[in-house]
Amino acid sequence: MANNMYRVGDYVYFETSSTSPYQIRRIEELNKTPNGNVEAKVMCFYRRRDISSSLIMLADKHQKDGHGNLDLCRGFKKLLKGQEIQGPCLNETVTQEATQQGALDEDESDSEGAELGGSTIVTPSGETLSSNERHQLRHRELFLSRQIETLPATHIRGKCTVTLLNETELLLAYLNKDDTFFYSLVYDPQQKTLLADKGEIRVGSRYQADITSLLKEGEGDGRNLEELESLIWTPGHGLTDRQIDQFLVMSRSVGTFARALDCSSSVKQPSLHMSAAAASRDVTLFHAMDTLHKHSYDISRALCSLIPATGPVLCRDEMEEWSASEANLFEEALEKYGKDFNDIRQDFLPWKTLKNIIEYYYMWKTTDRYVQQKRVKAVEAESKLKQVYIPNYNKPNPAALSNGKTPSMVNGADITVSGKACESCHATNSSQWYAWGPSHLQCRLCHSCWQYWKKFGGLKLPSRIGKEEERLHSGGSRSQRCNVGGCGREYKTRSQLIRHAAQAHGVALRAGSPRPIMKTRAAIMVHTSLPIRVMRRLCEDLIQPRKASRNPTWPVNTTNIRQESLLRMGGKSFDDFAYLVKRGTGRRRGRVSQVSVRLGQKNSACPAWMLPTDKSLLPKQPHIAFPKPPKGPDGSLIYTPIPNKELPVVNNTSPSLLKRRAYEETNGMDEGELEEGIPPAKRQKDLEALDSLHLNQLGVIPPPGLTVTPVGVNGGPGVPPPGVPTPPLAGVPNLGAPSTPGRAKIATVSRVGGRPRIISWMDAPDDVYFYATDTTKKLRKSLTTNDLKRAARRPWKKIQEKDLSPSTPTPTTTPITHITSD
Amino acid sequence: MGGKTVAYFYDPDVGNFHYGPGHPMKPHRLSITHSLVLHYGLYKKLQIYRPYRANFHDMTRFHSEEYIDFLMRVSPQNVQNFTKNLGQFNMADDCPVFDGLYDFCSMYTGASLEGAVKLNHNCCDIAINWSGGLHHAKKFEASGFCYVNDIVIAILEMLKYHPRVLYIDIDIHHGDGVQEAFYLTDRVMTVSFHKYGNYFFPGTGDMFEIGHESGRYYSVNVPLKEGIDDASYTQVFKPVIEAVIQYYCPTAIVLQCGADSLSGDRLGCFSLSTKGHGECVSFTKKFGVPLLVLGGGGYTPRNVARCWAYETGLLIDTDMPTEIPYNTEYFQYFAPDFSLHPEVITRQENGNSRQYLEAIVKHVYDNLRMVQHAPSVQMQDVPNDGLNIKEEEQELDPDARLHLSEEDKRIEPDNEFYDGEKDNDKDEDPEVTSSSATKN
Repeated sequence: MANNMYRVGDYVYFETSSTSPYQIRRIEELNKTPNGNVEAKVMCFYRRRDISSSLIMLADKHQKDGHGNLDLCRGFKKLLKGQEIQGPCLNETVTQEATQQGALDEDESDSEGAELGGSTIVTPSGETLSSNERHQLRHRELFLSRQIETLPATHIRGKCTVTLLNETELLLAYLNKDDTFFYSLVYDPQQKTLLADKGEIRVGSRYQADITSLLKEGEGDGRNLEELESLIWTPGHGLTDRQIDQFLVMSRSVGTFARALDCSSSVKQPSLHMSAAAASRDVTLFHAMDTLHKHSYDISRALCSLIPATGPVLCRDEMEEWSASEANLFEEALEKYGKDFNDIRQDFLPWKTLKNIIEYYYMWKTTDRYVQQKRVKAVEAESKLKQVYIPNYNKPNPAALSNGKTPSMVNGADITVSGKACESCHATNSSQWYAWGPSHLQCRLCHSCWQYWKKFGGLKLPSRIGKEEERLHSGGSRSQRCNVGGCGREYKTRSQLIRHAAQAHGVALRAGSPRPIMKTRAAIMVHTSLPIRVMRRLCEDLIQPRKASRNPTWPVNTTNIRQESLLRMGGKSFDDFAYLVKRGTGRRRGRVSQVSVRLGQKNSACPAWMLPTDKSLLPKQPHIAFPKPPKGPDGSLIYTPIPNKELPVVNNTSPSLLKRRAYEETNGMDEGELEEGIPPAKRQKDLEALDSLHLNQLGVIPPPGLTVTPVGVNGGPGVPPPGVPTPPLAGVPNLGAPSTPGRAKIATVSRVGGRPRIISWMDAPDDVYFYATDTTKKLRKSLTTNDLKRAARRPWKKIQEKDLSPSTPTPTTTPITHITSD
Repeated sequence: MGGKTVAYFYDPDVGNFHYGPGHPMKPHRLSITHSLVLHYGLYKKLQIYRPYRANFHDMTRFHSEEYIDFLMRVSPQNVQNFTKNLGQFNMADDCPVFDGLYDFCSMYTGASLEGAVKLNHNCCDIAINWSGGLHHAKKFEASGFCYVNDIVIAILEMLKYHPRVLYIDIDIHHGDGVQEAFYLTDRVMTVSFHKYGNYFFPGTGDMFEIGHESGRYYSVNVPLKEGIDDASYTQVFKPVIEAVIQYYCPTAIVLQCGADSLSGDRLGCFSLSTKGHGECVSFTKKFGVPLLVLGGGGYTPRNVARCWAYETGLLIDTDMPTEIPYNTEYFQYFAPDFSLHPEVITRQENGNSRQYLEAIVKHVYDNLRMVQHAPSVQMQDVPNDGLNIKEEEQELDPDARLHLSEEDKRIEPDNEFYDGEKDNDKDEDPEVTSSSATKN
C-alpha cells in the first residue's frame, strides 16, 4: 500500500515509452486536473546515455580528478563554471573535437574496454571495483537538472532514491541496494553544460570580515554600557513567584475595572467576563511586569502607580483597539488583496500604521473568524494533492515476446525463432522474453535483465551490442539535422551532415565555430507596395503622417483607413493613382512649360535647359560603390546568391515523446542555443512580430511577396549590398522561380509557407560607426553652428576647405572606423 | 538556575514586520515565542533587556558602507529609484524590500551586539536573542532572507575579549555568510550542520570547505541528507562538538538555533523534534563557556515558537509542562494538540545511513587533528600580549638599572652559541657573547 503511495518529493520511475528505459524524475507537485486526472510536475534527472559523449568524457575526468586530488577537483569545478560563463565557444570546441574524432572513437572505447577488463579500479574510499561493478555503477550515475516537466501520474512505475554522491561513501553500497542512484553534477539541457552541484565560498576583501584584534590590557572597547543598558526585568528581585502572580492578578483586576469605566470598552465588551478576558491579554501583563521593575520590585508602590490620579491604567492591544467596522474593513481587504498589508493600509485603513495592521492580523488569526476562512481555503487547496496512489502497472509490455504460448519446448530447451540466449546474462531460460535492441539483430532479454534495463538503462553485463545501442542513443539525442529547405534528414555526425548539405543542397557548411559574431540588431526596411502608397495619399487626413511620425508608438486605426480608402478609390482611374503616387499631392499644377505659356510666355517650345540631360552625357562617377547586377533576359536583375550558412529553421524536435518545457527562462542572448548558427527562436519571432505589427500599423496587410530586409546603413534602402542575399521583391516573382535547376537548389532564400522570410540577422552587414577622434571634434568646433547644421542636412557635400584652418583635415578625409560590435 | 545569569533580549516591535505576501519568513514568530516565554513563567527568571538598536557604524563593522547606506534609504515607496542597486545587492525575490526594513535590521543586530557586549563584560553567562541569527547575509549583499549579518557583527565584538570564538549552526541551511566572513581566520571556528545537495539553499557547505590560509581547518561542515531524525542528529552533533571544543578550546560560543531543522517546517526537510533540537542547545550549554544563543531560520511559526520557548527553558534549567498554557494569547496557533512537543510526522525517510554519518564524523576528526598541530591558535594570539609587554620594557629602561637583568634574560648559554660551523669553544670572550646577544 505504502509502496504505491507517491508523495511530493519522491523520486520515481516514469515510463514514457514502452521500449526505452524508465525516466527518473522527482515529484515537485501533484495537481488534479479538472477532468479528474492527476498530473505530476517533475524535476528531470538524466542518465549517462541521455547526455552527449563529449560531456560524459568531461564528467569522467571530473570524477577521476575529484577522487584523486581535492584541489584538482576544485580547479575542475571552476573550469566547468568558467566554461559556462564563456558560453558556447568553449563548449562548441568540445563537441567539435568529439565529432571530428568520430573514427577515433571506436578505438578509444576499445582501449577503454581493455582497461576495464584488464585491471581493477580503486576508488578513493579504498574500494576496488571489478570491471562488471564499474560497468553497473555507470548505470547508477545520474545528472541533476533544473528542467521541469509535467507528466501524467499514471505513468509512474515505482520509487527509487537519488542522492548527492558524497566522497566518503562506498560506491559499492549503491550497487548492493536496489533502485538507488547518485549524482554529483548538474546538467543543463539548454546550455549543454555540466556543473558541480556546489556553491562557492568566495575569498577576498569583498567577502571576509576584518578581524578585530584582541584588546590590549586596559584598552576600552568603545561600548558604553550605560548607553546600552535598558534592563526591564531581572530575576534578582527577592520576590517569590507567588507574589509576582498576585501582583499580576491585581493589575488585571485594575484593568477590568478600567474597562468598566471606559465607555468605548463597555460597548465592545458587554459582559464582565469579556472585560476580564480583555484585561488578561499580554499587553496588560507586560505592562505590569515593567511597572514592577520600575518600582524596584516594591509591590505596594507598583500597585499605586497602576492607579494614578487620572484613573486606573488601561492597556489595550490592537485586538481591542480596533472597532467592529475596522475589523470588517480589514477582513474585506484581506480577501481582496491577500496579505499585501501595504495595499490594505493604503486602500482600506490609511489611519492605521503598518505595524498596527500586522499585529492585528496575527491576533485576528487566533479568532474563530479566521478558522472559518481557513476551512474555505482548505477546500480550495484540495486540487493540490500531497500524495497519489498509483496501482502496480501490469499490462503486458509490447516488447514482450509471446513465445511462452507457442509450443516450442523441445526436450526442456527453449527453441524459439531466434533461439538466442539473453543478450545480457546469456541465460537460456526465462519465464518471459523481451525483444530488445535493433530489430534486425533480433536480440532478446530475459525477465530480470529486462527489468534491469528498464530501470538502469543498460545491460547488466557489458556487451558489444549494448554499447552500440547506448552510443546510438546518445548520438541520437543530439543528432545532426539538415535544416535546408525543410529537408529534415538526420545524420549521426556533423561531417556526414556537411557532406549531405554539399551534395544535395549545394550548401557549404562552415566547419569552423559557427558562433555568431555579435551584432547590433539588424536594420529594418519597410517596402511599401503601390496600393499602400495610394492608400496613404488618399487618406492623408486620417493618417496625419506628420503627426504619426512624431508619435511612432501611437496606434493607427488600420481598418478604418482601409475602408475609407476603398471608398475613396471608387471611380478613380489608374492614371489618377499613378499621379497620386508620383506627385504626392492631389493637385495638378501642370507642366512648367504649360504654366509659363499660361503666364504669357510666347514661345511654347521647351527651352533646352529644361530638357533632361541625355544619360550618356551625365558625368560618370569614378567609383560605384554598389553596382547594379546584370539584367537577365526577362529584364529582372540577377543577383549572385550568397549561400547562407544554414537556414534559420529552428529545430525543436526532441527525441523524447513528451514535449519538454523549458524551466529556466531563456533570457537575453542564450548563446547556448546558437550552437548550430541558428538564431534563437524567440528572437526571430520578435522580429516577425515586430514587422507585422509595424506593417499593420501602416495599414498594410503584407502582400504575399513582401519582404522585410535587413539592410546596412551603407547599403541604403532598396539597394542591398552584394553581401546580402536579396529576397524576392514584390512584383518580381520569377526571381524565386528556378530558371536553372542547379542554382535554385543553392540557398536562395525561398519563402516557406507564404510567410515573409527574414534573412538571418546574422547575415546583416556590419554596422558602420562614425568614430569621432580628437581631430574631428576639434574640427567640428571650428565650424559655425549654421555650417554644422547645413552639413548635417547635406551629408554628401564636402565642407569647403576655406572654412577650415589649413592644418586640419576635412571631415571627409578623416578615416571612418568600422567597428563591429562584438 | 544553577547560578547562571541568562540575559534575554527582546524588542516589543520586532515581531511586527512583514516580508510581503507569500514570503515564508515571518518575524511575528518572535512575538509568539515571547508570549510563550511569559506564560511559561520563564520571564521571571530571565534578565530581560529591551535591546539597543544597532547604528550605521555598528553595521559597517562588517558590511560595506555602500550597502548599509542603501538599506537605510530604500523603502517600498522609493524602490524604483534603486533598481540598479537591487541587483547589485541581491535584493530580489528572497530578500524583498519591505516597510521598516532598516529598523528591523537594526533591532535584531542591536540585540545580538548587545548580547556580545554583555558577555564580554561578564554581565551574564548566556545571552539569548531569538530575533538574531541571520546567517546568510554577506558583506556586500543580502541573501536568503538575511540583510545584515548580526552574527558576524556580534562575533567581531566578542573578538575584542575572546581569542577564540566558536560558532555552531544548527539551522537546516548552511551558515555560509558567517563561514565566508571568517574563512581566512583561525580566531573563529565555524561549525555548521545542514542539509546539502539537490540544489538546497545556499549550495555551499560541502565537507571539503575547511577554510583557507590561516583559517584552514577552521571551517567545519557537516553535510546531511534529508529526513534526519533525533537519534542520527545527536549521533553526529555530540561527537563533533565534543571534539571541536576539545581541540579548539573556545573562550566563547555563538549558537545559531535555526528552527527550520525541525520536522514539519515549511522549507526544511529534516525530522527533528523540539526535544532533539533542544538537546543540541543543552549539550552546548554544558561546556560552561560564555554562550550567545541566536535564532535563525524557521518557517512554521508555531513550531519555531515551541522550539525557542522550550530552549529558553532549557537554558535556565526550568522544566516546562508539555501543555501550552491556555492563557497564551496565541493559544489557537497550537491546535490541534496544544502541546509543546508535537508528535513528529516523518514526511521523508531518513536518507542518512549510519555508515554515512560515521564517515562524516571521521572526516571531521581527521581535520580537527590538523587543528591541534596547527600552531597558530596559540602562536598568533599569545605573542600579541607578550610582545607588547616586552616593547614597554624596552621603552621603560634605557638606563642601567635593569640592564643587568635584561641582559641575563637575553644571555644565551655559551654552548648554544657557535662562532663558526664547528666551534664548540666554551672559553669564549664574555664581551663577544653579550654584544652578539644584544644584536640578536
